[in-house]
Amino acid sequence: MTASSVDADALLRCADEPIAVPGAIQPHGVLLAATEPDLAVVVASGNAEAVLGRVGGTLDQYLTDDDAARLRDALAGDLSEVNPLRVQVGGADVDLVLHRADGLLITEWEPVAGAEEAGAAWHTRLPTVLQRLAASSTLDDLSEVLARDVRTLTGFDRVMVYRFDEAWNGEVIAEDRRADLEPFLGLWFPASDIPAQARALYTSNWMRIIPDAGYQRVPLDPPVNPLTGRPLDLSGAMLRSVSPVHLEYLANMGVVSSMSVSLIDRGKLWGLISCHHYAGPHRPSYPDRVAAEFLGRTASLLLRTLVAAGVTDGVVEVARRTAELTAAVGRTPRALGTALTGNDPSALDLLPATGAAVRLGGQLMLLGTTPPAERVVPLVRALLDGGVTATDAVSTVVPAAADLASTASGVLAVPVGGEDFLAWFRPETLREVTWGGNPYQSKTAQTDDGPRLSPRRSFAAWSETVRETSRPWRQHEIAAARTLAGHLAEATLNRAEEDNRLAGALQRTLLLEELPKVPGVALAARYRPSQDDVVGGDWYDLVPLPSGRLSIVLGDVAGHGLAAAAVTAQLRHALRAHLLRAEGPAAALDGLNEVIGALLPGEMATVVVAELDPDSGDVVVASAGHLPVLHAAADGAEYVMEGRGPALGVLDAPSYRETRLRLAGDDRLLLFSDGLVERSAAGLAAGLDALRDAVGAGPAEPQQLLDAVLAALNPPSTDDVTLLGVART
Amino acid sequence: MLFEIGRTTVAGRAALTVRGELDLATAPQLAAAAEELMSTSPDGFVIDLSPTQFLDSSGARTLMVLARSAREAGVELHVLVPRGNRPVRLPIDLLDLGTAVPVVAAASEIGTSVAREDSGT
Repeated sequence: MTASSVDADALLRCADEPIAVPGAIQPHGVLLAATEPDLAVVVASGNAEAVLGRVGGTLDQYLTDDDAARLRDALAGDLSEVNPLRVQVGGADVDLVLHRADGLLITEWEPVAGAEEAGAAWHTRLPTVLQRLAASSTLDDLSEVLARDVRTLTGFDRVMVYRFDEAWNGEVIAEDRRADLEPFLGLWFPASDIPAQARALYTSNWMRIIPDAGYQRVPLDPPVNPLTGRPLDLSGAMLRSVSPVHLEYLANMGVVSSMSVSLIDRGKLWGLISCHHYAGPHRPSYPDRVAAEFLGRTASLLLRTLVAAGVTDGVVEVARRTAELTAAVGRTPRALGTALTGNDPSALDLLPATGAAVRLGGQLMLLGTTPPAERVVPLVRALLDGGVTATDAVSTVVPAAADLASTASGVLAVPVGGEDFLAWFRPETLREVTWGGNPYQSKTAQTDDGPRLSPRRSFAAWSETVRETSRPWRQHEIAAARTLAGHLAEATLNRAEEDNRLAGALQRTLLLEELPKVPGVALAARYRPSQDDVVGGDWYDLVPLPSGRLSIVLGDVAGHGLAAAAVTAQLRHALRAHLLRAEGPAAALDGLNEVIGALLPGEMATVVVAELDPDSGDVVVASAGHLPVLHAAADGAEYVMEGRGPALGVLDAPSYRETRLRLAGDDRLLLFSDGLVERSAAGLAAGLDALRDAVGAGPAEPQQLLDAVLAALNPPSTDDVTLLGVART
Repeated sequence: MLFEIGRTTVAGRAALTVRGELDLATAPQLAAAAEELMSTSPDGFVIDLSPTQFLDSSGARTLMVLARSAREAGVELHVLVPRGNRPVRLPIDLLDLGTAVPVVAAASEIGTSVAREDSGT
């Protein structure tokens, strides 16, 4: 038999333990069970004669005539309203407590002598106490008021408010104690400390007391109920004798007297008010106990609103953010990434998280504190492929991600469509759980009857650190993430359709439908879009000038997609205007730089302009941060390295320079965008060399030349590629 | 080789040392790291491209954007690219980045430029 099955066996045995029918009571009172209406006593506790002076007979015989009459009256009404009936027995006050069980009237007789009474002073303060409870706006407030006032009322050395978690482990969330005692506040007690059977009993019976844990149990006589032939059901009896395991547990904690009141939220045991006394036996009077139970019941009713308020707070906030972000997505369907990352609130604000990742159109954007970009996609992919939306312990799902605990112990990931997703990250929360004694210590003792639960002997605080775990994701947070992803997927779908239409239109404005016919000049242009974007940032233009010259333009705007295309269109038109007006290419670039600074702040572009005089073959070249043009002559091809300046939009007032060259005979001029050479397998330098070789060896006619160059360089389709070839005829 | 930005010190200044390829995919990370460093090192910092293997036009643009925001914020930025690092030096020269970005070829140039500025003020 393994250790764990021994424990399981012992737990079952405990579950079998007859805690509701122990066949005995505690000695601080007497139990008499009578039939009705004759009130003949059929079961009595063994101490009846010693305490009440007689045994057997009928209940009337134990009471004065007046008290007997009050008892008869009480039996006609609701018993819970008469408890306790204070009667005189042998000249002493006795609290008589009544209830019915197993077809019998159960009477419990508790002598008032020996009980502590808070007295009338406390009871007159009850309205104030209730007001304090009702005024508590948080759970913490409520628990503190409860602990303090129950202790004032009952005089226990320590009063704790104890809350169960989902696994029935209990945490002490409030405490009032004798100043010299060590605090239990914040301690956790494992679920096994209060077995399931006891918890079930606590849900129906609100109050238990053990005035002296060292008591001798008083057996019932006869041991079985003559009506049923079974032991008498004592689950509703205040004098019920408790499990010896529980007494041992109390003794191990040094507790001499204990009392507990259930806290019940909507029919479910939520927690306990747990009272300990260490100095010696302690018994608050029955009315004081009822008052404590009343406080517990009142607090139980308040729990619902306070717990719900704590939960719904977050819900309302998350719902509001979901609406705001959805609205932002709706407003800017063309810039979903910006809607989610560039605005306030961003996707990170949707729910409580320390980092977020937005992957849209294949582009990854990170917000807050996240794992490194190259780890985010594989991590989220692994989770989504495994069908996991949310985890608060990612290393248990994706072991390879264990090293990301500091940024992503918790991951919430939702797909948006295709390879796109939204993800949120929470860091490892080092949760220190301080147990009241080591909960993993074996609790099983060997007895003659087999293994039995043995209460823990050590109650010294024992800390355990829970690692690689984040705050858990709540249902409404996961739902909000899904909602947002759904809206995005829809917007993306709509956008994709519209993009195709718009892209076609834009393409036609950006790229010339037909190259202008310029006498004496042979022109060729090639544009190859990248596979990822319908429209890139490249543009070219051919502008015949009034002087008879021809301006040949090739530019590239930073960025991709429709936003870049819109900027491109503006720049293209602005440059046309400046070229027509300005003295030369450099002056036109100066003007264009002003345009970008004034009208398109933050945008950046490179452009090269070659102005050709078809008659003379003179060419003036000016470049704004663009790759050099290539001049192919009879003796080979060379890059034109002069006449260059910074990219547009970088400096406020750069002064662009020009350089001159002559296009003679079969010379050709080649303008190109970085996509042609940049991603060559061997690097930019090799790409430029290959281009020079291809042009040097290529055909003279521009159309054929460009096709030969594209075939030779075979640039990857990850960026758009533009080529312009010019020759004189 | 994986892209990596290390927080280092160059010529006694806070620096970001960039390993791997600085391109369309990775440039945003450099931008983010530099913006953060700029906010904590108001005097000046260095972007060290000595171990960088590749620089494309997106990376170049990012350097220009950073140079612009550093200038506007009054933060002194230096971009360190040794002449021996041809794959990175070439696009910088070809795109005429030097006019917009304070590129130095050695850490020692950073010290002298500071000294010169100091003596001038």
